[in-house]
Order: sequence, then C-alpha cells, then structure tokens
Amino acid sequence: MASIFNFILAHQGDAADPELLHWIRERLDQIFGTGPWVVVAIMGFIILSIPAFIIVVYLMQAKRRAVIAPLNQDGQERKRIR
Amino acid sequence: MLTTEKPKEPIYYGWYVCAAALFIGFVAVGARNCFGVFVVPMSDEFGWNRFTISVAAALGVMVNGLSQPFFGQIFDRTGGRKLILISIVVLGSATAMLALTFHILFLAFMFGLVVSMAQSGSGPSNTAALMARWFKRRRATAISINSSAVSMGGMIMVPFSMFLLQATNWRVAWLVLGIIVLSSLPIAYLFIRERPEDRGLYPDGDLAPLDDPGSATRRGPSGPLEVDTWKQSFRTAPIWQMAGSYFVCGTTTFVMSVHFIPFAIEERGISGATAATIFGYMMFVNIFGALGAGVLSDKLGGTKNWLAFAYAMRGIGYAVLLTVDSILGLWIFASIAGFSWVATPVLTSSLTADVYGTKALGTISGITFMFHQFGGFGSVLLAGLLFDITGSYTLPFALVGALLLPASISAFSIKERKYSSRYQTRVPTPAAGD
Repeated sequence: MASIFNFILAHQGDAADPELLHWIRERLDQIFGTGPWVVVAIMGFIILSIPAFIIVVYLMQAKRRAVIAPLNQDGQERKRIR
Repeated sequence: MLTTEKPKEPIYYGWYVCAAALFIGFVAVGARNCFGVFVVPMSDEFGWNRFTISVAAALGVMVNGLSQPFFGQIFDRTGGRKLILISIVVLGSATAMLALTFHILFLAFMFGLVVSMAQSGSGPSNTAALMARWFKRRRATAISINSSAVSMGGMIMVPFSMFLLQATNWRVAWLVLGIIVLSSLPIAYLFIRERPEDRGLYPDGDLAPLDDPGSATRRGPSGPLEVDTWKQSFRTAPIWQMAGSYFVCGTTTFVMSVHFIPFAIEERGISGATAATIFGYMMFVNIFGALGAGVLSDKLGGTKNWLAFAYAMRGIGYAVLLTVDSILGLWIFASIAGFSWVATPVLTSSLTADVYGTKALGTISGITFMFHQFGGFGSVLLAGLLFDITGSYTLPFALVGALLLPASISAFSIKERKYSSRYQTRVPTPAAGD
C-alpha cells in the first residue's frame, strides 16, 4: 500500500524529482556561484516582472486603443477619428 | 475629421487575457508542483515517513482530477471570471496557510483538498476554455501559450522554492509561494474577461465574423455537434475518440514522470545526474512542442492529423527507448516524446472547442481531463506492480507504449471536416421575397 502512495508522490513532484532538483541546484550554483538569496532574488524578479510587463505593454498601447473608434452597432464597419 | 489612413492596430485584447491566464497558470501549477521540495524538511520536522506525507499528495491528485468536471461546469454557468478570481484567492491563501502546518491532517485538508480544488478552478483546463472563447482562428496557438505555463511553472517555480527553502525554512517558503500566487490576482482582475463581446470585440479581434467557405481557418458558423450541455456531447463519437486517446496520453506521460529516471539509472546504467539532465531536457523541449503544435494546427489546419501524429511520434519514441539499449536511446526518446508531451493537450482542447463549441467547454474539457488523470494514475500503479513482478520496466513500458497506436488511430479517425466548426460553410440566408 505504501508503494502506491509513493508512486503518486513521485508524480506529484514530477518536476521536483530529487535527482532533477539536485542537478538543477548544481547547475544554478555553477552559474551564480553565490548564496541562495541571490538566486531567490533573481528568480523572484523574473516571476514578478511577468505581470509588470503585461501591464506596461497594456498602458503603452493606450494611445492606439484611444484612436480606434468602437465597432458600429452592426459590427461591420470601423472608422478612425482624429 | 474622418480619415481613411490605415491606423496602427492595437494589440487584440484577447492576447492580454492569454498573457494573464499564462501567469495565473504559471504560479498556480508551479506552486503545486513545489510540493516535492517540501517533503523532506516537513517529514524531518514532524517525524512523518514517506507514506504518511504521500497520503496528502495522493488525495491532492485524486481531488484535482475528480473536481475538474464540476469546476468546469461552474466555469460554463458563471462565465469563469469570478471562478478564476475566487480560486486564486483560495489557492494563494491556502498555500500561504500551509506555513501553519502542525499535523498531517491539516496538510491533507489544506493541500489535498483546498489547494487541489482551488487549482481546478483556475487551472489550465478552464483557462484553455477561456482561450477558446477569445480565439477562433488562432485558438490552438492561444491554448498552446496557455499550456506552456505548466512547463514554465515547473521550470522556474520549483528551483525558486528550492533556493528559498535553502535560504529560509519551509514555513517561510510556503508563505512566500502563497504571496506569489496572490500576486496574480491584480493581473487576473484587470485582464480576465469572459468573452470578447464583453469589450465589444469579436474573436481574434476580427472586425466581424466572416464567411470563408472551405477554408482551413476557423471563422463563420458553428459545427453540427455544437452543444449547450455536456450530456449532449456524450451521445456523439468525437468525445469518446478524444477521451480515449487522452486517457492514453495520461498513461504514457505520468508513467515516464515517475519511472523514467529509475529506468535510465537501473536499466541503461547511466548516472542519476545524466538521467536528470535528459529528463530536464525533455521538459524543456515540451514548451516548443506545445507552441509548435498550436501554430501548425492554426496555420495548416487538420488538428486531428497533428494529434494523431503526436501520438504516433510518442509511440516511436517508446519503441526507440525499449530497443536502443544505450544512452542514445534515452536522448532520442526525450527529443521525440518531449515534443509531443504538451502538444496533445493543446490539440485536444482546441479540437474539443471546434467540435462542441464553447458553451459547455469547461465541463467537457474537465471530463476529458479526468480521463487523462485516470489513465495516468492507473499506469503509474501498473508500472510499479509489473516492475515488482518482473524486475524490469520493459513490460510496463511496452504495454503503455503499445496503447499509443490505437490512440493515434482513434485521433486520426475523428471526422474533423464533418464536425469541426472550422470546416463548416454558412448557408446563405434567402433574401426577402426569394
């Protein structure tokens, strides 16, 4: 019975397979060569920069959206108003 | 003043929805995949053995698979925005609360039940259904971008939590992961909208739905099997053809997630680090496989052919794995199977939307996902059992690999041209007086 659950656990952490984790840690240690905080800071920045990037692009596009008039009632024609 | 000068078109709003869904999937799936990182430190602190903590994980897998159709139905009935927002709040809060774990029952309840159910609400199955509403011509591409979040989550969030754990302790690490999940809430609130009509748009950002008879692009009328409820889809063949092949998809991917590295070490005689490198490479390649499948399906059409091709390629990968008795066989398998790994969910979701429409898509996708999970669950147990009996992975890998042939045939036999909205032509409405 225990082995059944062990298999499931192993799948549950499929990306976190111990061998793979060990390998990833070694590679990252080789790349950064410093303490874990540096890696945490860099990866945390990467993670949180994704939503920031989406918002920045959306705001940068605000001008373009503003000059496009909404669709007509029948949705067949669109005119640009300056 | 009116002008005819061609304006610079803004980015279609659907791409923001896609990007937001990508980030939600990235943090939601990523945080869940991190569970393996916490097994050792939590077990050490509480004196749990591997079996005890596995119960929480096992419960999580089952709850996630079984609850998906129900959350799919809620998604279909409510539109999805509220469900996704609430799921993120629950998922983030529950993940953060894992920092308070004091007993195995708390872990089983919080992770196995609450986190797993919340993940069903905001998971890739529902966000893929959302993509299907926002895109028609570029449906598979949008779903493939959405699906790549699963791979990205594993690739970035898991090492992140690993180093966070090293720098702090498991309680702080769970808390930070919960906060990261909650950080997707503003982006979800700002950009997740249920359908393009909510913003006065048409799918893909088209000016209007166009007729394009006979074209391999998805425009115009709906298919003959478009359903209002999931029950109607059960009376038709494509759902069973797709669910059957999706069952095999789960069977052939789960078994490798668990048993590939032990197989490579014990039966091919390579080191654990090399085995992990090959597996990591396979997970990396699957991002390109998913994106490639989406783009090819949208550009060239014939989604079911690409789906059949993906299963056939994976079958060839299995054959190589079992017949090439060296490290070369492992690399070839990783290259071939890696490309098909996430390509099949992308193509299945896209084809499901094309055949059955989007009204009950959340539920239908949830049901096919459940088949996928059942297949995976069974294959992992079967492989373990047969390994214990025979002392080798050859028989279980051969058995699950052989299933890829009928899966490929099942996908190929779907009458896509007959049923998919992509190939339907609009019957002209007679003019008044005709």
